[in-house]
Amino acid sequence: MEITGTELVRAAALLGAGIAMGFGAIGPGIGEGFTAGKACEGIARAPEHANLLTRTMLVGQAVSESTGIYALVVALLLIFVV
Amino acid sequence: MNDILNPSQWVFAIGDASFALNAETVVMSLFAALALVLLSYAASRRVSMVPNILQNSAEMFVEGFFDLTSSSLGARGSRYFALIATTFLYILISNWMGVAPYLSEPTRDLNTTLALALIGFSVAHYSAIRVKGFKGYVKAYFEPFFLIFPLNVIGELAKVVSLSFRLYGNIMGGAVIILVVSDLVRQLVLPPLMMIFFGFFVGTVQAFVFAMLTLTYISLAVRD
Repeated sequence: MEITGTELVRAAALLGAGIAMGFGAIGPGIGEGFTAGKACEGIARAPEHANLLTRTMLVGQAVSESTGIYALVVALLLIFVV
Repeated sequence: MNDILNPSQWVFAIGDASFALNAETVVMSLFAALALVLLSYAASRRVSMVPNILQNSAEMFVEGFFDLTSSSLGARGSRYFALIATTFLYILISNWMGVAPYLSEPTRDLNTTLALALIGFSVAHYSAIRVKGFKGYVKAYFEPFFLIFPLNVIGELAKVVSLSFRLYGNIMGGAVIILVVSDLVRQLVLPPLMMIFFGFFVGTVQAFVFAMLTLTYISLAVRD
């Protein structure tokens, strides 16, 4: 059985999607965990500001999540469009 | 899986050029807007001193968002309050629509999120020109020194891209994950739970983040 060019491209795209998602998830994982940990410390120190801290934490996490979302979009493109 | 990425389209041809509208997105975003109008009408129809549950929650929402906008914009907050609150409510209802059967999120389409981000972008830049004057607005691009100008321009454009791709990626990624996992578990037990997580939790957080970031960009633009 011979491997054609299109099959090779497909295989490379699928591999690329896996690699993109895997490496792309490292950064947001570390960032969001760090943010949540710091927010926990803050809430433990000042429970009366829990609302403000939670709000700020969620916004910060969503911002640090965006790089992971870019990786997801790229992976989806590689899987379904290429 | 295929119809999630290749939505049905209305194709119009005018002369030689042809353009396509994503049928589902158009209908669903009109639906979301209609739901918003009906909801606000129902909440404000019979305003009384002793509020019913709808009026009460609407008042709580308005008060909370008014505090948010005025805490980051100061006296100018009331000017942008309507924009921020409406953006939030529209995205919230759009994201929640994915949970209901036969409905789909209009925010699943990149066109919708890009349009919403462009609205915030234009408002931010218009108000920057209004507040600082055209000279001050242009001068802000050459700070701290002259050579940094291209970086500032790219930074401004990257805000639109990151804002729209964040919302689109979250909603689209959620929809794809729900589809894939539902298929893996043969539609047993997990899908409703994932609908609750991706539809309600992620949807609410992303709507809030979108509104907050638009607010932040506006407040950065009008700050002296």
